[in-house]
Amino acid sequence: MELQASYIQIVALLLFAIGISVTLTRRNVFFVLMGVELALNAVNLSFIGFAKTLPATASVAGQILPLFTIAVAAAEACIGLAIVIMIFKSQESADIDNYSNMKG
Amino acid sequence: MLALIYFSILSVIAVGSALCVLLSRHPLYGALSLVVSMVSLAGIYGLLGSPFVGVVQIMVYAGAIMMLLTIVIMVLNGARDSKTPMFDRVSLFVFPSVILLALLLGFALISTPLAFSPETWRGSVALTSATLFNTDANGPGYFLLFEAIGLLLLSAMIAAVLLAKKNLGSKESEETKEVQ
Repeated sequence: MELQASYIQIVALLLFAIGISVTLTRRNVFFVLMGVELALNAVNLSFIGFAKTLPATASVAGQILPLFTIAVAAAEACIGLAIVIMIFKSQESADIDNYSNMKG
Repeated sequence: MLALIYFSILSVIAVGSALCVLLSRHPLYGALSLVVSMVSLAGIYGLLGSPFVGVVQIMVYAGAIMMLLTIVIMVLNGARDSKTPMFDRVSLFVFPSVILLALLLGFALISTPLAFSPETWRGSVALTSATLFNTDANGPGYFLLFEAIGLLLLSAMIAAVLLAKKNLGSKESEETKEVQ
């Protein structure tokens, strides 16, 4: 009984499903952002798991791309939280259904 | 065998704390369990032989991003309207469809032949830096991506400062500035 490559993909699939469910079902805006982060993490795990199934030179790309994904996630969290702060000032609510009007 | 035991422990922690994110009521508890999930994912990266990505995961994700999220939740008091229900009404459709999709993809994954390659390279700092910056050997692709990420982070920082500056320029903050 050894560690199989498909176990990693199963874990990544579970994390991605949970992240998507958090994003689509929760009403608090912070949980929506956290679900996006969770789904991005699952994609990183999937990248690494697939990279380990490839031989020498081909296995490098799957281990470099998560670094770029993490950087993009940092930018996304920065912009998303700035927008949330702006909306919070005018709406005084964390419920994402109250954000339906785009009036400043 | 030992790798399987470590992987099982870490993945149970990761998936369990992800479920805590789904089911917790207060956003701060959700953020803290998300940190636990990210740290155990970093352990999985180290176990699989990509220690540099694991360290970056801890530093950037569990350190910087979740710190920012936690601070914003605490500053804005993101749970002040605890009267609103946790789940949307649309979740009656979302949960079954997500579970169905996960089952479908899981079946496809199990039936796909996947095996670890024995001569895969370890994603150490030396390999990562050689791939990113040795443009003679690997071509300029990764280096250009690296520069583009730098530009992206700079523009994200400027955009966040501008968004926050709009708040700073509002009436109340100008009054407080005059007081000082």
